[in-house]
Amino acid sequence: MTDWRAFQRQQKLAELDGTFISYLDEGHGEPVVLLHGIPTWSFCWEPVLGSLVRHGRVLAPDLPGFGFSDKRDTFDRSIGRQAERIDEWMARIGLASATIVGHDIGGGVALRLATRFPARVRKLCVINTVSYDSWPVELMLQFGHPGVNRLLSARRAVSLLTHALKSGFATVPASPMLEGLLAPYATEIGKLSLIRNAAALNTNLTTEIAPLLPSISVPTLILWGEEDPFQPIAYGERLRWDIPGARLLRLRGARHFAMFDRPDDVASAVIGLIGGR
Amino acid sequence: MFTHTGRPIGEHEARGQTARIYHEIRQTLRVSGVNLNFRTWAGFPVFFPLMWEAMQPIAAAQAFETASDRLRARAVDLAFGLPALGVRAALGESQAYQLQQALALYHYINPKLLLFTILVGRGLQGSSRRSPTAEGGRSDGRCDARLLPRVPFGAPPNMAAMEMVDEAPDDPTLRRLFSEIRRTLRLSSLNSDYRTLALWPDYLDPAWSALAPVATSAAFADAQDALTREARQAADTLPVPAGMDLRLLAARGESAERVLETTVRFARLLPGLILNITLLSRDWRSAEHLRASPFPVGPGLSAASPS
Repeated sequence: MTDWRAFQRQQKLAELDGTFISYLDEGHGEPVVLLHGIPTWSFCWEPVLGSLVRHGRVLAPDLPGFGFSDKRDTFDRSIGRQAERIDEWMARIGLASATIVGHDIGGGVALRLATRFPARVRKLCVINTVSYDSWPVELMLQFGHPGVNRLLSARRAVSLLTHALKSGFATVPASPMLEGLLAPYATEIGKLSLIRNAAALNTNLTTEIAPLLPSISVPTLILWGEEDPFQPIAYGERLRWDIPGARLLRLRGARHFAMFDRPDDVASAVIGLIGGR
Repeated sequence: MFTHTGRPIGEHEARGQTARIYHEIRQTLRVSGVNLNFRTWAGFPVFFPLMWEAMQPIAAAQAFETASDRLRARAVDLAFGLPALGVRAALGESQAYQLQQALALYHYINPKLLLFTILVGRGLQGSSRRSPTAEGGRSDGRCDARLLPRVPFGAPPNMAAMEMVDEAPDDPTLRRLFSEIRRTLRLSSLNSDYRTLALWPDYLDPAWSALAPVATSAAFADAQDALTREARQAADTLPVPAGMDLRLLAARGESAERVLETTVRFARLLPGLILNITLLSRDWRSAEHLRASPFPVGPGLSAASPS
């Protein structure tokens, strides 16, 4: 496995209006855009990258406010704005459309892209995504309070988040990987950015698009670690019901970070989606 | 007797009056973070608010900005008279972009910090003599802020955040580097600049290896002295802050000598820091580019009419 600094070293950068996005761009062929969740960054896709890159072009941006994208305290981090930024980023790098894969709030961004910017989405895959009123989870609600910045040092915040994150894995990754998932938030600026990201979590931004889900007309795959303590599979079932033709693949024994718990199955499913299966 | 806390107060730790002053520092100096000078001074609870009340109108002045710009340009001339570093580091596109943004931030703010620190030193020593070239001064040597055209407040929208690695990092490479930098430059606390560059250890390691021999050379010491003289001359064009001299501080229970010692130490270290950042920036930018302010102000605000 790649360590997080080596991963960071591979990132390119796109300047948008007033901000910038760092992103991975590897491989050739059919493009797939991977959108991470909170409190991680594009490094969360590391377990499946190798397989995906062998089958196509893989782009993995750090959403603004996350990872090594812009983390200044100057912009809206809601998933509504994130979807707009991804639309802008795709335009900036000349990517007309792609298969969009989103995990956690990245899935929320993917759903907003599919309903608000449908021309960008060739095919859609959501993995243990936020949807309807399934979020925010209690930890993130508390973490998003502005007072947390004064109460917790960056070191302490990362320690708490690391502990909390472990319940999202059926098999907790080795320390270097776990450390890598939170590495961008280990500075005071990073910590504050994560607090602001948490403060921006807004269930209205998935409830408002719920009526639009039946309008999604692209092939859609819903992947779900069945034992996710954060996002119950009932929401995945509801998404399958609402999105015409959507397929739900349950990942038995997997939890929230399904790409870690079942990397081969996740990669295979996404490759199958891109390839028309 | 007020007690000096003995350690810098981080931005996220600031409460009450300190938090207010930190906000005003960022706004007035047009910077995205609070440098080590201020974080250290904040540990002196009587001095810090008095100092800021006296210095804020001066730091807000267009004249202060202009003097800083000239000092920066002079630092570039001096740095380009020293050997180029030619740092070779394996950086990706995103890392290189953000490193350059960080260098621009410190290239911008450090000359302002030096001028600021020299003026604070003069204020502590009760230098009431008004330079004939000083703007905004009254006949009693005090500064009337209302006479000074002001720069627009707020960090420039394209300025990077002042992000830093913890001063006691877990990473062994960084711990070694920090220890070497502190030892070589005789620092009790590590400047914000090096802690920011530590975000890219693959850069800071070779950069420090290239910088250390230059920064400890006789030619560098000469450049440092020249920059110090230029900074003092630049400070002569600005008002001296009043209401913060050592006797007043001592009378109010402050550790006045510690304040002066801290201020003198920063004034001694900042010219070298300015040159170091310029040397590092030289690998990325031309002298012409670096002479210009990375964050030029727009038209200054007019001085408010005296009430």
